[in-house]
Amino acid sequence: MTRLILSTSNIMTGGPSIIRKPGASNLELTNSLRSNFQNAQQGYSPSSRSKASSPSNGEEDESPQRPSPSIWTTRENTDFYIPTIDWTLSGLAEEPSQYDITVKLFYLPGADIKDRRQHTQDALQLVMKELGVCSVDLLIVSFPGMSFEGDCEWDADKKNSAQGNDDEEVASWAALEELYDQGVVKKLGLAEYGSEKLSRFLKRVRVRPKVDQVNVKDCCNVPPPLRQLAKLEGIELYVHNDCTNILPSGTLRELLGQGSQGAGVLSEAKRGIDGMKGELTPEWVVKYTAVVRDRGVIENKGYFAVAELRE
Amino acid sequence: MGLLALGTPLDWPEAKQVANHVREWGIEQLLAVWNKAKGKERDALLWGDEVEYLVVTYKDGTPKVTLSLRQADILDALARDETLSEEGGCVPDLQLVGGALPIFHPEFGRFMLEATPGKPWGIGFRDLLDVEPNMKLRRKIAKEHMNPEEYPITLTTYPHLGCPGTFTTPYYPPSGNKLRSQFVPDEIANPHIRFPTLAANIRSRRGHKVQVNVPVFKDKNTSWPWKDPTVNYDLHKYPEDDDVRQGAAPDNFIHMDAMAFGMGSCCLQITFQAKNITEGRKMYDQLSPLGPILLALTAATPIYKGFLADTDVRWNQISAAVDDRTPEELGEKPLQNDRWRIPKSRYASNSTYISEDPRLRKEYLDPNLIVDADVKQKLMNGGMDSLLATHFAHLFIRDPIVVFSEDLEKLDLDKSDHFENLQSTNWQHIRFKPPPTGSDIGWRVEFRPMEIQITDFENAAFSVFIVLITRAILSYDLNFYIPIPKTDENMETAHKRDAVLQDKFFFRKNPFPTRYPRPYSANGGVTPTGTTTPAVLSRPPTPTGPVEDEYALMSIDEIMNGSKPDSANNFPGLIPIVESYLDSMNVDVETRCELASYLDLIRKRANGSLWTASKWIRNFVDSHEDYKHDSVVGETINHDLIGAVIGLEGEGKREAKDVDRFLGRFYRPCGGETK
Repeated sequence: MTRLILSTSNIMTGGPSIIRKPGASNLELTNSLRSNFQNAQQGYSPSSRSKASSPSNGEEDESPQRPSPSIWTTRENTDFYIPTIDWTLSGLAEEPSQYDITVKLFYLPGADIKDRRQHTQDALQLVMKELGVCSVDLLIVSFPGMSFEGDCEWDADKKNSAQGNDDEEVASWAALEELYDQGVVKKLGLAEYGSEKLSRFLKRVRVRPKVDQVNVKDCCNVPPPLRQLAKLEGIELYVHNDCTNILPSGTLRELLGQGSQGAGVLSEAKRGIDGMKGELTPEWVVKYTAVVRDRGVIENKGYFAVAELRE
Repeated sequence: MGLLALGTPLDWPEAKQVANHVREWGIEQLLAVWNKAKGKERDALLWGDEVEYLVVTYKDGTPKVTLSLRQADILDALARDETLSEEGGCVPDLQLVGGALPIFHPEFGRFMLEATPGKPWGIGFRDLLDVEPNMKLRRKIAKEHMNPEEYPITLTTYPHLGCPGTFTTPYYPPSGNKLRSQFVPDEIANPHIRFPTLAANIRSRRGHKVQVNVPVFKDKNTSWPWKDPTVNYDLHKYPEDDDVRQGAAPDNFIHMDAMAFGMGSCCLQITFQAKNITEGRKMYDQLSPLGPILLALTAATPIYKGFLADTDVRWNQISAAVDDRTPEELGEKPLQNDRWRIPKSRYASNSTYISEDPRLRKEYLDPNLIVDADVKQKLMNGGMDSLLATHFAHLFIRDPIVVFSEDLEKLDLDKSDHFENLQSTNWQHIRFKPPPTGSDIGWRVEFRPMEIQITDFENAAFSVFIVLITRAILSYDLNFYIPIPKTDENMETAHKRDAVLQDKFFFRKNPFPTRYPRPYSANGGVTPTGTTTPAVLSRPPTPTGPVEDEYALMSIDEIMNGSKPDSANNFPGLIPIVESYLDSMNVDVETRCELASYLDLIRKRANGSLWTASKWIRNFVDSHEDYKHDSVVGETINHDLIGAVIGLEGEGKREAKDVDRFLGRFYRPCGGETK
C-alpha cells in the first residue's frame, strides 16, 4: 500500500489557474496541481531544454516532452511525493506571530471514517512543515455529502439538515478537540452546516466551533435561522467557494494518468505505458493559507492531497 | 492640501531667485528623511480616503443656486464642535462610527471642504465596512455645521462656476488683481495667503493667465463654429486681458482662465502605507497603469461654465489650470533663459517607474523624461540608487511656487518643508510619499486619478476596490507594467466622452508572474552524477520578447471583468482577481455581501449596464424641459440638477431621475429595506 502525497507548492504565484470562475468548483486545486506537476517536470529535469536533440527513450512517442516520474517525484518508504517537495524552501518570510494561518481539511467520501483521526494529524503535520510553524490559527473541517443547495435559502437550510451523518461527524470532531487541547489549533471551524445540523452538533461536542463556513449562492441571502443561531452562539459565518467533493477519484486518475493533461505517473495498459498500477482512493485534501495579518497580504497558499494506492 | 504655515510669501520673480536655494535644501531634507527611513520595516497597512465637497446654497423654490464662500465659518463651527466633543462629548451622535471624529480641512476653493476619517483604516474587513458609514457621517456633520440652505455635495466641478452674473454667496466681482480672471473673483480662492500667491505666481511665471480650454459638446442646435459667448474681448484692466485677443479662446472650446477652474475640482484620493520602501516603490509602479482606467470608470465631469463639454473627466482641466510652464518650456520660443523644454504640466500623469523590480524593463521608461542631472547626482552622492534619484530629480525640474522668506533663514533637517514645497506641487496621478519627519508613519503611496462620486456608496465602493486591488497585487505579485507613454495616451483617451464604453486602453495582457523555477534548474538542473546546485531561490528568467507583444488595446469592460471567449486576449479581469483574493481570505457573510455590492457596482459601470455620473448628468440635462439642445446648461437646469444631486444623498433618493440606471439596486445594499 502506497500513500500518494500530491502538492501544489505556493499557488500565489501560480498564474491564471488561481483566478476564480463563477460558482463553487475544484478548479483551483486541479489547475494548480497540474501546473505544479508540469513545473516540476521542467524544473527537475536536467535535459528538458535539449530534449529534442537527445531522444532517450523510444517508448515515449506518445508524450515526448514528459520526463520519467523518477526525476521529479520522490519515494520515501511507503510515501510517494508527487512532485518532490524541497523542504529547504518551506517556511514563511516573517515570524509566525505575524500571520493568520487557516487550514481547511476536506474528508473525502471514499476514505475510511476510522482513519479520520490519523488523517487530521497527517494533514496538520504536512501543513506545519510546509509553513514552518508549530500551530495554526483556524482549522475548518469539511465533511462529505454536505451542501447549501435549494430553490431558496430556507429550502437549502432545510435540506442541509438531513445531509451528512451526525454521529460520524461528532466522532471525528474528537480528533480536532485533541489538537485544540494541545494548542496546535487555536480555533476550530465547520463547513456547510445549516441551522438545524449546527444546533444538534453544538449540543454534542466539548470544544465548540467558532466558525461555520458556508457556500450560499448569494452571500447576501444567508438563511435567517442560521444567521440567528450563529449570532446567538457567537459563531462567525464565513464565505467560501470550494466544492465539497473536491477530488473525485476520476479526477485524480486523470491528473496522474498518461493523457495529455496528466502527469504520466499511472500506467496505461491500453497503450502499454508503464507506471503505477492499482486501486486509487483519494482520502483527504487540505488547503492552507498564510496571511500577513496587519497587511492583508496572502504570502502562501496551497494544497496537499493524499490518496491511497493498493498495488 | 499641504502645510498651511504662515509667513511672508515672495512674489514672482523674487521666488524664482531663491528657487535653487529651496531645491538644494529640499534635497538635503529628502536625503535626511531617506537615510532615516530607508530601513523602516514591517509597517502595517494603514490607509485613508479623502473626500472633497463643494458647498452650495440651494432652495427648492429659488431658481438661483450659488457656491457658498463660507468655508472659513464652516470650518470654524466644526472646529469648535470638535473641541467640545473632545472635552466630554456634548455631541454623542458624533461618536457612532470608528471611534474617532472625521477631520475637516480647507481646500483651494473657498467653496470647498475636504474630510478624512479621524484615524486611518486598517485591513480588517470590518474596517472596510466602516468606510461608507464614516463617509455618511462626514457629510452629516458637515451639513450640521452649515446654514440650513447650504449643502455639501460631491460633484467634481460646480456646473455654473464662472458663469456671467452671480454664482457665489456673497457676490464678488471678477477681475481681481491676484487671479486677473474675467470670470471668477479673487475671493473664489481660500484667502490663506498661500493660495492667492500660488495662483498669482503660476500666472506670473507663465507670463499669461492659465488657459483652460475644454471642447464644447456639439448638440443638434449648437451653432458651429461655436464661440464661447461669455468671453469678453473688451477688457483692458490688466496686461493679461490681452490673452483672449491673442487667441487664448479658440473656437469650439469653452474658455476658462483661472486656477479655480481646475483646483476647484473635487477628487477621491486614497493613500496607503506600505510595509517598507520596497513595497511602496512597487505599489507606485503597479498602480500607475491603473490610473487612466479608474479615471474613465469614475467619469463625472460633463459640464463647465454652464456648457456641456465634449469630455467626461476633470483631469486635463486641472492640469491646464496649474500649468506654470513658460513659453520656452512649452516649446513656443527657443530656449534662452529656461533650462529645458518640459512636455507635461506639474499636474499630469506620472513619468517615472521607481521599483527595483527585475520585471521593470528599460523599454517601459519614459524616453522623454526630463531630469535635473545635478539634483540626481547629489542624491546619488548621498547614497540613493539611480532609479529613485531619477524620480526625485524629475520632480525637482520645477520651481517652487510659494516661498515664505522666513523659511530661508536656516536649514532645518528635522523638517521637510523645502522638500514638500516641490513634492506637493508636483500633482502626478500617483504620488510616492516619504515618511513625514518626526512621526512613526511609513512610506506611502497616494492614488489620485479618481473623480469624486455623487454618493457615499459609490465613493466607498471605489475606495474599497482600490484597497483590495493593492492587496491582490501584493498577494499575487501581479505585473501591470506597460511603457509610460502608453499610460499617457490612456490618460488622454480617458477624457473622451463615454470612453468607459466606447474606447480602448493599452493594458498588459498577462499580469501574472513567471513561476519561480525549481532551485535545481537554476544552473541547468541535476547533473547526471547527482550533485545539485545550492538551493538558492533564483529569479525567473528576465523576459526578453518585444515589449509591444506584452500589451494590447482593451475595453474597460475587458480590463475590469476579464476577456470574453471571443477576445484575442485572455485577461483575467481586475474584479475576478479581487474576488479570487477574497475567496482566499476569511470573510464573514455580512462583509462579503457588502463588498459584493461594491464590486457589482464597478462591474456594471464597466460593462455599461450602469451609467457613470457623467452619463447620468448628460441624460439629466438632455431630458430637461428647459434644455434647447444647444449645449447650454441654463439656470433652471443647473438648479434642478443640484437639487437631484442633493436628493441622492438625502430624502429625494428614490425620486431622482434614472436613479436605477445610475446606481442600480445598490444604493440600498442588502440588509436594508428594498422597495
